[in-house]
Amino acid sequence: MARILAVDDSPSMRQLVKLALSSGGHEVDLATDGVEALEVAEKQQFDVVITDVNMPNMDGISLVRELRRRTNYRFVPLLMLTTESTAERKQQGKEAGATGWLVKPFDPDRLLSIVSKVLT
Amino acid sequence: MNRAAADAPCRCETLGVSAEAAAILLAFAMRESEAPAVELGSALERLDQRLRPATAEASREVLTRDLAACVRALQFHDRLMQQLAVIRNLLTRFGDPAHPLPTMAGFGAQRWEELLTELRERLAADTHDDLFELLVRTGGVGTPGGTAAGQAEGSSELF
Repeated sequence: MARILAVDDSPSMRQLVKLALSSGGHEVDLATDGVEALEVAEKQQFDVVITDVNMPNMDGISLVRELRRRTNYRFVPLLMLTTESTAERKQQGKEAGATGWLVKPFDPDRLLSIVSKVLT
Repeated sequence: MNRAAADAPCRCETLGVSAEAAAILLAFAMRESEAPAVELGSALERLDQRLRPATAEASREVLTRDLAACVRALQFHDRLMQQLAVIRNLLTRFGDPAHPLPTMAGFGAQRWEELLTELRERLAADTHDDLFELLVRTGGVGTPGGTAAGQAEGSSELF
């Protein structure tokens, strides 16, 4: 079981990500944007962070960049979960330090298997 | 030019107010549909938590499969919301620069009502009352008509 931080500005998406991950036995915390995610991530250590890209206050790519600057998140898997699928945006995510890029709508089993893969 | 023609709002003004009304209508609709989707997600989570421990292994597979189907399907609500947000943003570009739309996130009922009253004053003189009435009915706030429409939702009647 992993401790996972899921970040999305959409309340329903946060709920669905939490539902999918907790049904796989993971413990899930939620944040509504990059700023809140940074605050939460500084208070406690997560094994995986899954974030949307387009969010107010701080987007997902900036969040990944900020997390990678912190020594305790340098090697933590950071996954982008977004509707965006252009090569340009993926490249931006990769350069920021993202571990993977998942395009919505996600399949719960696939999400769980990716989480399990990045944790090993 | 006769007086009536001179007093009539120009096409661009009419379009601007219509676009503004349409943007607000979309914002209302999005706001109203968010809470039920979240509630549905919460209910699924509670069901999963209660049923999973008490379910036999074979049935658990079915439960997991059905839950996954719900999660996949519900995400299309989020996609629809994103598409509507883009349309709302496009519509606001046609609005009157003298009346920029406020940021509507986190509006309470009273603030919506103020917004509707202001819009009604500007719409009263043109031909877009129908659009406004639709807006008010959907929002369910601001006028006795809107309140009645809100109360009628889910009701039934036998004759």
